[in-house]
Amino acid sequence: MKLYQVVLKDVIRRKRRVLYATLGVVIGTATVVGILTVARAGQERIYNQLEKYGPNLAVIPAINNLDMKLGDVRLGMLAVGDNYVSEDKLPVIRQIADGEIRKALKIEDEGNIATIAPNLYIDTKIRDSSVMVVGIDPVEELKIKTWWKVQGGKYLEQKDEALVGALAAQFLNLKIGDVIPLDGTSVTVAGILEETGSNDDYQVFVPLDTLQKASGREGLVSSIDIRALCNACPVETIADGINKDIPGVRAVAVKQIAASEMGMMERMSKFMLTLAGITLAVGLFGVVNTMMTSVNERIKDIGIMRAVGASRSQIVKAFIYEAIIIGIIGGILGYLAGTLLAYIAGPLVFEGTTVAYVPQYFALALVLAIAVAVVATVYPAIRATQIKVADSFRSL
Amino acid sequence: MLELKEISKVYGEGAARVVALDKVSFSAEEDAFVAVMGPSGSGKSTFLNIIGGLDRPSSGEVILEGTRIDNLDENELVDIRRGKIAYVFQQYHLLPSLTALENVLLPLVFCGASKEVDRAVEILKKVGLGKRTGHKPSQLSGGEQQRVAIARALVGKPSLILADEPTGNMDRKTGSEILGLFTQLYKEGHGIIMVTHDPEIATFANTTVFLQDGRIIKKMNQKARRSWKR
Repeated sequence: MKLYQVVLKDVIRRKRRVLYATLGVVIGTATVVGILTVARAGQERIYNQLEKYGPNLAVIPAINNLDMKLGDVRLGMLAVGDNYVSEDKLPVIRQIADGEIRKALKIEDEGNIATIAPNLYIDTKIRDSSVMVVGIDPVEELKIKTWWKVQGGKYLEQKDEALVGALAAQFLNLKIGDVIPLDGTSVTVAGILEETGSNDDYQVFVPLDTLQKASGREGLVSSIDIRALCNACPVETIADGINKDIPGVRAVAVKQIAASEMGMMERMSKFMLTLAGITLAVGLFGVVNTMMTSVNERIKDIGIMRAVGASRSQIVKAFIYEAIIIGIIGGILGYLAGTLLAYIAGPLVFEGTTVAYVPQYFALALVLAIAVAVVATVYPAIRATQIKVADSFRSL
Repeated sequence: MLELKEISKVYGEGAARVVALDKVSFSAEEDAFVAVMGPSGSGKSTFLNIIGGLDRPSSGEVILEGTRIDNLDENELVDIRRGKIAYVFQQYHLLPSLTALENVLLPLVFCGASKEVDRAVEILKKVGLGKRTGHKPSQLSGGEQQRVAIARALVGKPSLILADEPTGNMDRKTGSEILGLFTQLYKEGHGIIMVTHDPEIATFANTTVFLQDGRIIKKMNQKARRSWKR
């Protein structure tokens, strides 16, 4: 028989009291695990959104706004440069993007890797309303806007077809099969998109060639969206490469937006963790309290152990063992409760998030719970060693 | 040789001041069987606690085997409890969560000899509990619990056993069995100091000390009885 076995037997006998002491640990640990799990789900969600929503990079014409001044008199701004990017630059952009991805991921695939979707924006009038018509490469565009769903009709297939945003269809009163005149040519409405909550809802999409011909801007595009298809892709490096090698264009990494969103998320996590820390501290005092009660209840037992030869450090050890048992139980229950908490609270914090349990938080919960229980036990244990054996029997 | 020199013990201060022991001097051979008698509040238990280092005297000296033990620090007292002195209490004071055998093993756990299970079993057999080793205190009678407590005292091979009213909670028959056990231990060479208020029990000892109001009023040597006569 070892000292820890003596403690274990005693803990089993006093299971109710021990579970009560465990409660403080459980609450603290559960809060930390819950918050971490929810925060992780939130982060995952942001990543997924970034993965799902749109490009990693946008290439737009480099326009310099020059401030025109004559002495102190300001004459206004002058835009210098083209409003369009030549289509010939697409292969060069692809070369740079695919090259950088190959380098970063160490792959030697010969095919196309990045999705590169050129757009041409033309403001025009349809049925007397001003509408933005967008020329797209139907195949590439769908790879970027994976969330696009056609609610009526079909997706763009022919050169003389058009895809209409949900709200544009509403206010222009367009239906499938309607013919839209478009600067000398005409397109037929092939499909209507489901609402997306973005600008796409107000726009009309036609094949790029068709719009280029109709608007007389053959070989020109307004912007190019690039999607690198992975989180680890070197978006900044691609942007730098494009900016350096191709004059007249400006590549912007959309990741900056993601970074700021992540930063917000991190600040919130820190705040929540601070709250969890406070809960943990409160739980700690709860354990101190119950352990003090436990010491008082066991004055006699401690006296017995002292009388048969236990040293002070052995009494402290016995209490630390009890704390470790409390920590282990508290850690297990705290992890379960915290995960359950996250399942309930997660979808309330981040709408539509499914919270997954995080196995590695189990180890964290155990370590945290044991640490809290042990720290909370030090003072009561030292108090226990101050008990005088003769007094412990007299107090009965 | 156990020697007490001018031991005083004072509890409380001012109006609440109680003198439990008043300059008590006493000596006994280590293999003696001493009965300490006296009315309640005469200081018997305090006398015993001070000898065993469970309580510290306000003044005076306790000398055991030539060493002062009244001024030892906690760790040195632990060593005394692990071999020289063992206790048997009126209330048995067993740990309720442990079996009889485990309670006997407890002193060995603390001094790092918990593997000597055979010795613990042997001692339990000696006190007549060879078949009850796996029982918890709540499943044992008062007499049996006291036997466990005596076995626990013996397992550390003490030279001196201090017993505070060890039969106080028992009927006559059980009490006489326990006293028989103490007599046997005395014969085997253990010194015993036993507090009791029963004059008949005191006749088992070879020295009887009478305490009253914190003083020894009478000390008497007698031939110890070897068996219980009705």
